[in-house]
Amino acid sequence: MDFNALFGDLGGHTLDGLTKGSVYALVALGYTMVYGVLRLINFAHSEVFMVGTWTVLGVYTVLGADDTSGMGMVIFATLAALVAAVVASASVALAVERIAYKPLRKKNAPPLIFLITAIGCSLVLVEIFGHVLRFFFGPPFGRAPVNVPSPIQTVVLLDVGGVRITNVQVFIVVGAILMMVALDQFVNKSRLGRGVRAVAQDADTAALMGVNQDRVIMLVFVLGGAMAGVAALLYTIAFDLTKFDIGFIIGIKAFTAAVLGGIGNLRGALVGGLLLGIVEVYASTVFNSSWADVTAFIVLVLVLMFKPTGLLGESLGKARA
Amino acid sequence: MLLKLEDVVLNYGKIEALHGISLEVAEGEVVALIGANGAGKTSTMRAISGVRGLSSGRITFNGEDVSKLRADQRMRKGLCLTPEGRGVFPGMTVTENLDMGAYTRKDKANIAEDFDRVFGLFPRLKERRKQVGGTMSGGEQQMLAIGRSLMSRPKLLLLDEPSMGLAPMLIQQIFSIISEIAEQGTTILVVEQNAKQALSRADRAYVLETGRIVKTGTGAALLDDPSVREAYLGVA
Repeated sequence: MDFNALFGDLGGHTLDGLTKGSVYALVALGYTMVYGVLRLINFAHSEVFMVGTWTVLGVYTVLGADDTSGMGMVIFATLAALVAAVVASASVALAVERIAYKPLRKKNAPPLIFLITAIGCSLVLVEIFGHVLRFFFGPPFGRAPVNVPSPIQTVVLLDVGGVRITNVQVFIVVGAILMMVALDQFVNKSRLGRGVRAVAQDADTAALMGVNQDRVIMLVFVLGGAMAGVAALLYTIAFDLTKFDIGFIIGIKAFTAAVLGGIGNLRGALVGGLLLGIVEVYASTVFNSSWADVTAFIVLVLVLMFKPTGLLGESLGKARA
Repeated sequence: MLLKLEDVVLNYGKIEALHGISLEVAEGEVVALIGANGAGKTSTMRAISGVRGLSSGRITFNGEDVSKLRADQRMRKGLCLTPEGRGVFPGMTVTENLDMGAYTRKDKANIAEDFDRVFGLFPRLKERRKQVGGTMSGGEQQMLAIGRSLMSRPKLLLLDEPSMGLAPMLIQQIFSIISEIAEQGTTILVVEQNAKQALSRADRAYVLETGRIVKTGTGAALLDDPSVREAYLGVA
């Protein structure tokens, strides 16, 4: 145990935690929104994120963008990667809903069937990238980690009493928070957002008020997928890599973040994500880096044991301004 | 006829809850559906509103066959159910709940007018505008649920057990508001266990027993009917 390492640079570690946590929070939104409306843990959501990271890689490759690119190219490549990742992730999320879940809903399948289907979808998507695409196209698809060189070069922007704040950290944290504020506003203020909350609170009555439930469900998958797409871009900027099963650990952590904040609660996802990121970085500093993942699981178990409704503890339906 | 049910059969799994219901509601009428617990009153409302699909039979609304439409599609046609147990959105404020009633409306200008109308009928809701639905009393929730339905400007207002769980004084109040809504020109089909109130307010009524309609007539006639008096009014 090395508390000196932690307290020697508490600010720096907190900043690292916030950076990681921002990605968890964005992915957590997808779990929490789908849960809020369907009471389903969409285990395929981790792969929605994974597809986003590969899309980012694809855009960089096509544009030939890397860390030697000029400023114009850097901005263009990053924006293009953002749009492409959002579209790709949202499309995969929507496809999973239409192909796998909707037919089950039509048949009034019990919750367990949904859960198994979700896990099945997750495995299928993982193996598409780990095996099928490799079979047809060869590397970089396959089971090895792949480098995703972000064209953004890390620059120290500020030095606050020894805590160095980089452009990448600011970009990630600010970007994630902006996305979440936008989503929160949409859900709480817009007409369609009110429809989403209505379905989450009482699906039958929402239908009686003229809300098309099917459309709300599609919207929720698209929004959650889009957030995962943004998360995918931010993740690759911070960590420069992807892998066929990269979604697994991120997914579990995002799920933990969602449960920690209170599943079904949008603001809970933000709080849970940032908190988990910080706790994880602290733990891996005090012990060593192999503790990062263990910490997430410990947090998950503790929350489920002592506060299963999470910190903010309300459902998407009940959460409001 | 505004609403017409022909031989409507409804199943819950293998159990048949409605064994061929036929009834009619004309424009401008207040029609009551009375019956004991489990007679199929709520099932009839579910069938009409589209919350549950029919096994067989036909429902026409405003001359159009709506049997195959989903609940939200029927609502857009002007059929609005205030469900049993009220279905107030617990996490939304009074204003947001009322806004949900106007969810499908495009005529923004008239919505403000309807807010005034609802607040006129239920001054209590105006006082509690900012309160969250889930924290309100049963009576207030019932007012909110009825007000919310009115916000959709329904051609036919369906009320499922509006008096359920309310104190006698509140029941009086809710029913006089229902009469007021009817006088303002809304057609109403109301399901009630409180047969006396329902029959004295309704133009016509149907008596439901174990999934079948066993009697029909004007509200006044049924109030005087010996078998109805014995079974539903507690008068021998």
